[in-house]
Amino acid sequence: MTWKRICAAEDVAENSVKKFDVDGILILLANYGSGYRAIPPVCPHMEEPLEESGVIVNCVLTCTKHLWSWDLATLEMKGETEKQLKTYEVKQENGAVFANIEEELTYEFDSEDVEDDDDFFK
Amino acid sequence: MKITVQSKSGETAFQCAEDETILHAGLRQGLRLPYECATGTCGTCRARVMSGEVEVRWTEAPGGARLKPEKGDVLMCQTWARSDCVLRVPSEIDVSPNLCPAPRRGVIRGIRSLTHDVTHFDVHLSEPISFEAGQFVVIEARDVRGGRAYSMVNFENATDKIELVLKRKPGGGFSKWLIGERENVEVDVFGPLGRAVFRPHEAKNIVCIAGGSGIAGIMSILAHAVSLDYFGEHKGSVFFGVRTLADTFYLEPLSRYVDASRGNLDVTVALSDEAAASATHKDYPRLKLAGGFVHEVATAAMNGRYDNAIAFVAGPPPMVDATIRGLIVSGMATKDIRYDKFA
Repeated sequence: MTWKRICAAEDVAENSVKKFDVDGILILLANYGSGYRAIPPVCPHMEEPLEESGVIVNCVLTCTKHLWSWDLATLEMKGETEKQLKTYEVKQENGAVFANIEEELTYEFDSEDVEDDDDFFK
Repeated sequence: MKITVQSKSGETAFQCAEDETILHAGLRQGLRLPYECATGTCGTCRARVMSGEVEVRWTEAPGGARLKPEKGDVLMCQTWARSDCVLRVPSEIDVSPNLCPAPRRGVIRGIRSLTHDVTHFDVHLSEPISFEAGQFVVIEARDVRGGRAYSMVNFENATDKIELVLKRKPGGGFSKWLIGERENVEVDVFGPLGRAVFRPHEAKNIVCIAGGSGIAGIMSILAHAVSLDYFGEHKGSVFFGVRTLADTFYLEPLSRYVDASRGNLDVTVALSDEAAASATHKDYPRLKLAGGFVHEVATAAMNGRYDNAIAFVAGPPPMVDATIRGLIVSGMATKDIRYDKFA
């Protein structure tokens, strides 16, 4: 378990997202008002950069490219969304936000794993 | 050739002729294969060829930038089958309840300039077409490579003439081609396509936000709505964004639609590159004028009043993205936002 400091809590305004380089791993931190989520910086749908396309309203993160969206409190998929968000565990301590980063989280389209084609459906 | 598609919904198969793309073949036989632009730009129709021979017609299609060709990934809109094939598609596929698109022959007529960079043209079809207001077709000329997507401007059932509008772009192959002496030239037409459609039975207020030639599909929606006296019962708010007053077109029919709608249809022309000299258009006083980007003008004017409303968004991709963001932030639910992205 490796807790790494991402930023000060006030660095990401309520209902906004911001991208950070944490020791070479790009992480998007989303502040949804009642908490934070640390996620990979791309939409799991078509790799859109969520730093630009992500918008948070009423706890729901929506990628404006194709309207995939997730409730950030429950991680429930909304509407026509077909893939779960992957998340790093987060905690707040002394006014800073930390993420538990074992390894970089990626979605299937990033995978170089050639032998297993079943990943295509995930 | 037989195309077998494995998807999250199971396995299904359809026939594909030599001269049609796999996407067109599946769609015309009623399968809801995933797609948005149908012309190689969006990447939504990606699939993985598990077996069989295919030929990719446009290998540099921008929508294919993130594919893995070494794994057999293709865009179905750019792929011809050269033998029986098995494909995987990473989404759910059901049977379309809507009108199936079909290939038709067409003849170009009625080319006329609307502004310095917008051209209107008609396509007279070999067989009549029915479509929902807001849909588009893909047009392909024999001597210009690749299909282009255009939204219908008119709305009629089983019509043998569709009206289309084209934004001329510097270096745009088809627009340059069309501006030449192209009256009476034959083209291939595939459609109708697109999910951003107006369905009167939903009985919703409608908000339409268009940038430039994106107004085309909105004109079809308004034509349909006005023909039903839809604005006798429901509200309509249209925001038409252009750079300057000189870039406007279709103001005459827009003014007529406002006139026919007993105060329930508002049309605002948003000018991004010049100030609005007056609150209304001097020649079309029923049309409002405002300065600013159309997504800002629209969200400010609506001010979150999206009760029982559906929004239609059409235009260049950056304008569509900014508008969708503005709508979500100002309180519109994503399920009530409709758009088809092609550029």
